[in-house]
Amino acid sequence: MDFDFSGDQEQLRDAVRKWVDKGYSFDRRRSITAAGGFDRAAYKELAELGLTGLYVNDADGGMGMGPTEGMVMMEELGRGIVLEPLPQALIAGGVLGGYAPAELKDTWLPRLTSGDALIVLAHQERALRYKLAACATAAMHSADGWTVSGTKNVVPVADYADAFIVPAMADGKLALFLVERTASGVSASGYLTQDGGRAGDLTLEAASAQLITLDGQTALEHAVDIGIAATCAEAVGVMDKTLLITTDYMNTRKQFGVVIATFQALRHRVADMKMQLELGRSMSFYASLKLNAPAPERRAALARAKVQLGQSMRFVGQQAVQLHGGIAVTDEYIASHYFKKLTQLEMTFGDTLHHLGEVSNRMQDTAGVFA
Amino acid sequence: MDLSFTPDEQAFREEIRAWVKANLPDDIAHKVHNALRLTRDDMQRWAKILGKKGWLGHGWTKEFGGPGWNAVQKHLFEEECALAGAPRVVPFGPVMVAPVIMAFGNKEQQERFLPGIASGEVWWSQGYSEPGAGSDLASLKCKAERVSDELGDHFVVNGQKTWTTLGQYGEWIFCLVRTSSEGKPQTGISFLLIDMTSPGVSVRPIKLLDGECEVNEVWFDNVKVPAENLIGEENKGWTYAKYLLGHERTNIADVNRTKRELERLKRIAKTEGVWDDARFRDQIALLEVDVVALEMLVLRVLSAEKSGKNSLDIAGLLKIRGSEIQQRYSELMMLAAGPYSLPFIEESMEAGWQGDFPGEVTANAPLASTYFNMRKTTIYGGSNEVQRNIVAQTVLG
Repeated sequence: MDFDFSGDQEQLRDAVRKWVDKGYSFDRRRSITAAGGFDRAAYKELAELGLTGLYVNDADGGMGMGPTEGMVMMEELGRGIVLEPLPQALIAGGVLGGYAPAELKDTWLPRLTSGDALIVLAHQERALRYKLAACATAAMHSADGWTVSGTKNVVPVADYADAFIVPAMADGKLALFLVERTASGVSASGYLTQDGGRAGDLTLEAASAQLITLDGQTALEHAVDIGIAATCAEAVGVMDKTLLITTDYMNTRKQFGVVIATFQALRHRVADMKMQLELGRSMSFYASLKLNAPAPERRAALARAKVQLGQSMRFVGQQAVQLHGGIAVTDEYIASHYFKKLTQLEMTFGDTLHHLGEVSNRMQDTAGVFA
Repeated sequence: MDLSFTPDEQAFREEIRAWVKANLPDDIAHKVHNALRLTRDDMQRWAKILGKKGWLGHGWTKEFGGPGWNAVQKHLFEEECALAGAPRVVPFGPVMVAPVIMAFGNKEQQERFLPGIASGEVWWSQGYSEPGAGSDLASLKCKAERVSDELGDHFVVNGQKTWTTLGQYGEWIFCLVRTSSEGKPQTGISFLLIDMTSPGVSVRPIKLLDGECEVNEVWFDNVKVPAENLIGEENKGWTYAKYLLGHERTNIADVNRTKRELERLKRIAKTEGVWDDARFRDQIALLEVDVVALEMLVLRVLSAEKSGKNSLDIAGLLKIRGSEIQQRYSELMMLAAGPYSLPFIEESMEAGWQGDFPGEVTANAPLASTYFNMRKTTIYGGSNEVQRNIVAQTVLG
């Protein structure tokens, strides 16, 4: 049992932090949002650091790293509320590397690593809410190969993505496909999301698709769990910075002739924020350290983690706004952007109530970190 | 980063588990698992069993006859004891006064007091709080005047202590006493060991809201205490008391016992028919997440201690969270039984009681009492509001 980071992991952290501090200023982020919420150039810069290929094996040209490194990277990106969707790169690396046939890997993994291909998971459907077991999108097989038909919503950077990982029903069973955006029958819309990033809806009309795996549920659950762990880690970074911004402000802002950090009613809120941050960080560790566990153990652990992080995020975000006062509800000041990111992350890959239901359904007689 | 225990740690756990299974008396474990009333004899019996094995002072270094375990081993020992249904070790001797005697007592004091603590023979109590000194402990007034006469060099103690846990059984008490009113309140306090059989010491149990007498008032009326019972230097007692607070930080979260009680909550919920009520079960699920998160927090502190890193900024959170969770599980247990937690039949708290408990589930008898009792957890050991002040200090300066 050991919660220290290795030298390599600390180096990775430093590299990402340096990029965020130097390369991703609040002004740059603001201009990215103004231009639509995604910047290919920024994404390429992250790829040049090797980050889009973090989960891609060395043999396929990637970094061949694991969940702890994924966590370190996401914490740092969270601190900078980076809009470019790196959790999607982790999912693509994990799913294609773990489940796709060789020819798909050979085509896409090097492009994922280089940043030339943006591959995103398109699984959200109107009637599904956060359920993963089945969907309305259907797949058909013919002599010419597979086609899929259906609609997916709130797909990250849909109209910029090069390929989608798409769950669809094949002969009554969930399967996973790769669909290229330029394929016939594919159309993608685009819009801003509340955090200043970008998403869109994906419409598939007999779009030609390549099969990743017929055991789609196993792969999709794994994909979502990679996403949950990444989101938890990202949330820790966002919360960490949110607390820092808030305490800096409290030690500067004066009312009644003194800095507001002197008021006990406010100090206790800060103590509670620290509590939620550290409980969240603990469960983010837990999520990443369980990401390679057998599926039932992994699923249970990731649901627990998201329940904690969901609560922590909402609390830290709301308290940060309250402690700042009016300034934090302006668009101009940075704290509101951290708050909006936290709000969005709670609803990403399943919200708190959804995962509480998952925990509730899975409860056993005994419970703890090791059970 | 690694979440698993090492093979050595696993083997250590197995060894502890086997020993506890073989040595913990069934009747005591039964009482603990069902929250029934523990007698002085129950607590003392288990303490002596541990003492004989050399594990009552399980946090002690080898130098003082302890096992010399590291933070993780101590945690594993506590976990195995808790899950098996061992009573909590009464901490005042082995966990609280012993480390102070080791760190600041002289050789004579160590030789005189530590063996009785290690064996579980001598029952120690704590004399800190006073009617006028709760959260503001440094304002304490219980006075010790140094006097030299034909009987030798000694202190004369006058004043009152209160909230003395299990003090009705106490044979010795370690006290913070005022030896000077000069300067800041903290600088005039001394750390004194007092024989409770001394003339002038009187103890009155305080009946609490659950009907039990867990704490006491202790009066000192011209009690003569030999000067050799002073630990360290006069007027340095506050420093020694603070040193104590830095000890056994993860223990205060009590996560091991909480894991056991979460299991019990699930059993109660099943018996009472609320396990299949999604609204109720979700509350248990929420608590389960809280418990796992607390355990992770504890493991982080342990890992930091094992590798010699400072973890003070998160250790301060453990008391707050641990106590809130203790209150929550006791609350849910009571709510699970609903009206069947309401009959107050004191005899039903005794093991082996053969009467008819309303609703026929005798296990419901202690639930409301435990809930009421647990309100203490956010008050004692530095109230949670005081703890928040400390946490805020680390964050805001």
